[in-house]
Amino acid sequence: MPGRLTPFRPLWLRRIPLPVLSILIGVLCGLVVWFFLDQFQSRALNRIFQEELQTRLDQRARESLVRFEQYIASYTSTTKLLANHRRLAEYLEPKAWDEEGSVTPKVYLRSEPDWLPQVPQWAGLIPPSFLILFDSEGRGREVYLREPRPLPQDILSSGPLYVSESRVQPYITTLDNKPYLLISRPMEDSFGSPMGDLMLAVAIDDRFLAASQAGVSFRGAVVALLDADEQRVLASSDSKRLPPASPLTEWERDYVVTAQSFFEHEGSDLNMLFATFMPRWGMAATSSSVTRLVRRQRIIDTLVYISVFTLAFYLLSSRINMLLRRISRFSQRALGIRQPFPEGGNQLIVLEEWMRQFVHLVRRAGDEMRHRHEAEIQESEAVKRAIFATSLDSIITLDEKGRVIDCNDQAERLFGYGQEQAAGRELAALVFDGQSGHTFRKILESSGDGAQPQEESAHRELTALRADGTQLPVEVSVMRIQLESGVVFTVYLHDISRRKKDEQEIQSLAKFASESPSPVLRVNERGVILYANDAAEPLLDYWGCSRGQTLPLYWLKQVKRVLDKGWDAELELVSDGQIYSLLLAPIGELSYVNIYGRDITAVRRAEQASRQHQAELVHVCRLSTMGEMATGIAHELNQPLSAIVNYANGCTRRLQQGIGGEAELVEAMEHITTQAERAGEIIRRLRSLVGKQPPDRSVVDINDLVREVVSFVEFDTQRLGLEIEFDLEPGGLPVRVDLVQIEQVLLNLVRNAMDALRDVPEDKRHLFIRTRPEGAERVRVEVRDTGSGIDATTMEHLFDAFYTTKSTGMGMGLPISKTILDDHNGKIWAESQPGKGTTFYIVLPNAMELAHTFTMAGRIQ
Amino acid sequence: MSESVVFVVDDDQAMRNSLKWLIESVGMRVETYASADEFIKNYYPGRSGCLLLDVRMPGMSGLELQEYLANQQIRIPVIIITGHGDVPMAVRAMKAGAVDFIEKPFNDEFLLDSLRNALALDEHQRSLQAERAEIAARLAQLTPREHEVMVMVTDGKSNKEVAAALGVSAKTVEAHRARVMEKMEASSLAELVRMVMAANI
Repeated sequence: MPGRLTPFRPLWLRRIPLPVLSILIGVLCGLVVWFFLDQFQSRALNRIFQEELQTRLDQRARESLVRFEQYIASYTSTTKLLANHRRLAEYLEPKAWDEEGSVTPKVYLRSEPDWLPQVPQWAGLIPPSFLILFDSEGRGREVYLREPRPLPQDILSSGPLYVSESRVQPYITTLDNKPYLLISRPMEDSFGSPMGDLMLAVAIDDRFLAASQAGVSFRGAVVALLDADEQRVLASSDSKRLPPASPLTEWERDYVVTAQSFFEHEGSDLNMLFATFMPRWGMAATSSSVTRLVRRQRIIDTLVYISVFTLAFYLLSSRINMLLRRISRFSQRALGIRQPFPEGGNQLIVLEEWMRQFVHLVRRAGDEMRHRHEAEIQESEAVKRAIFATSLDSIITLDEKGRVIDCNDQAERLFGYGQEQAAGRELAALVFDGQSGHTFRKILESSGDGAQPQEESAHRELTALRADGTQLPVEVSVMRIQLESGVVFTVYLHDISRRKKDEQEIQSLAKFASESPSPVLRVNERGVILYANDAAEPLLDYWGCSRGQTLPLYWLKQVKRVLDKGWDAELELVSDGQIYSLLLAPIGELSYVNIYGRDITAVRRAEQASRQHQAELVHVCRLSTMGEMATGIAHELNQPLSAIVNYANGCTRRLQQGIGGEAELVEAMEHITTQAERAGEIIRRLRSLVGKQPPDRSVVDINDLVREVVSFVEFDTQRLGLEIEFDLEPGGLPVRVDLVQIEQVLLNLVRNAMDALRDVPEDKRHLFIRTRPEGAERVRVEVRDTGSGIDATTMEHLFDAFYTTKSTGMGMGLPISKTILDDHNGKIWAESQPGKGTTFYIVLPNAMELAHTFTMAGRIQ
Repeated sequence: MSESVVFVVDDDQAMRNSLKWLIESVGMRVETYASADEFIKNYYPGRSGCLLLDVRMPGMSGLELQEYLANQQIRIPVIIITGHGDVPMAVRAMKAGAVDFIEKPFNDEFLLDSLRNALALDEHQRSLQAERAEIAARLAQLTPREHEVMVMVTDGKSNKEVAAALGVSAKTVEAHRARVMEKMEASSLAELVRMVMAANI
């Protein structure tokens, strides 16, 4: 059975089932993907995050600045409100700060001055550190302190400078190393006289900054004012984390700093920056939380991926398992082979092993089949060659153009061409011609298209020609064979000349019974007519029975007799003027008798007619021989006679004219004599020729001769409406004669009589023939007619040669008859009574001395 | 007439001799030959006479000889001798141009008359032949123009008509005509016409 195969090498791989393997591969792939992706992805994510963060921070810083500005703007509007307030104007109206020199300002601590209205607006703002009223000269007149803190010294001393600066716009500066926001607005009394300026000062500290941001905080972001020159913090929104005056460098490690300049508020002595500090730890936390999220997401993805992959492989492997089970079942049941390797393990490899196994098997089976096929081909080739050689049919192989490639011995024998002669010649031209050749080409063509089944073109009957030119009918069968090298035709030619004949014979046999013009019947042993053809009707009529009835007793006896004896019997039956010959042929095994009838009436008549014909032929033959002989004799005699006449005439003329010498004339006379002798010699030769025939004699009954002769002329007598009357000597009259000659004589006489009777009315036509012994030794035959008789002149020349009264006669009949009778030692003569008739007599010597041995057998048929 | 010979061709010696005997009795010259071949060997076309020929002969038959002579343009008159009853053969011979046929045995008067007629016919044919040759010789002397004139004149055209047809003057035609008459040795127009007809132009 199956040969050992090298199993798949890595056995461990083979043992792992496919789903397990798929899970392993899935996990492995997931890990690898994880490992690499995590690296790249985390880094990329961080970068994106940082960029995004930076953008956000910038945004936030700008927003912080805007909020700060707005906060300041709200102080500006508050200052404007205070400066223009009615209470201040009313307060100022009675005042006239007109003293020269320095003045000491009036300070309000804890108590609110009158010019200050109850301002509910402080609620949204940090209350100012102090408010100062400056007169037109820039001297501080009244100061309102909200907290018991000393007023910075510079503010009063450099009052005009600060007022002028802060009148245009909010002004930020450091007083006593603390940043302050200064806003100034001019004020008027009730009459609208300018009274100086109202200055509002707010310390910019952590409270201020926090309030400026209105509590909006972003992950611990801190806003601060920086001294750009000294790189340190002036104020921050969270002084605990970011104490003022601390250098900036100290914080860059923990914060991301976004600094923005704001020139509008810069004092001439201060270079300030507005900064937003974003703590780094917050950012890191955000970044790591995002990364965690992504990583979690990725783990879920990987798990889903592995599970889907595994499921797909599991389904696939289960299908393969099913397939393998089927293959295994099929192999065991149909092919009878076992699984070549242990079951289980990696299905794909098992499948591959199966495949390899199948391929191996198929290849082996292919090899086996090829071997077997080759052996079969060799055997069948041998058989075919034997068939080809010994076939009784002619087998000829043709190429696609109809030329002979090969033929067997039978073809050589049948057509008389050698293999070498025929090779390469077109078969249609070689053994067919004309219509047959044309038909044969048609057969090749029609077998060529291949569309129609072989049967249609097969078995055509054609007429072939042998090498010697004789024809023979053949049955042609053509088979078209498509080879790789081209098309060839195998032509079978079957000589059917014999079969044709057989066919015809069988056909004719089959028609025998039903179409036979002769009666054919079959009767069984009880004489019941089993079958009778149409032609048997007259017989049935005669018997008075029909098909299925029993034959008359006599015929029943005959049937039984034939069956008993087992021999054929032939019987005759005469019915209604018809003569039938019935052949009873017994079929012993079936107890049947076949009756073959034959209407022999015509045969009998034909026999008579033919006998008559024959006799006439003999007669005519004789006459024509005589005629030819007469012509010959005439010519032969003509020569010497003509010469004689010429000589004689020449002599006469010479003698009449008196010319010619005697010697000359004598010589001519001698010539005449010679020629006359020559004529005599011719006649002598003729006679000796006739006399050479030896007499042919046999003993017959003259009565039979008479009957036979009369049968010759039966038709003529019928035509004449004549019945020949006989009066023949009973017991017969034997004579010893030349049969033909005496028959000739008798025929002659009968014919003459009939010719004579032709001219008389039908009712007066009589012809008698009588035979009688004459004396003891002779026999006399009389032929008497009632014709017109023979006149006396004719009577005289009756037996002269060439004397005739008939237009067609030779005048030789009676002279020959006379010669014949002379030969037989007999006599012939005639007696005639003109107008009444003529009687011819023949007398022959009898053959009585032989009478006792006389027999008619052998002679009369 | 004295030059003329009766040539007898018959395979039967008695016939030959007896015929010679008979024919010589009226003063004609006779030559006898036993076969057609022998006759052909000894005869040349210039000889005048007639041929008395037996139909039935071994070798070349009488009819075949007759046919041969006709093919050779030899116009010697032929009389056929037949045996009794050779009528079909006689008919064939007559159709092939025989002047007469005689049945054996002969009526001597009939035979001799027939021979005389045949010799006369031969004579006539020979003179015609001679005249035709003479006329042909004279015709050969004519110039083409004279020939033209002669043909037109003998066609019955007048001198004027001829002149008009040939595009010459009547006088010229007159001159041509005179020369034609002279060369052809014709004494009258009628004779010229006869000559032209005899020559079968």
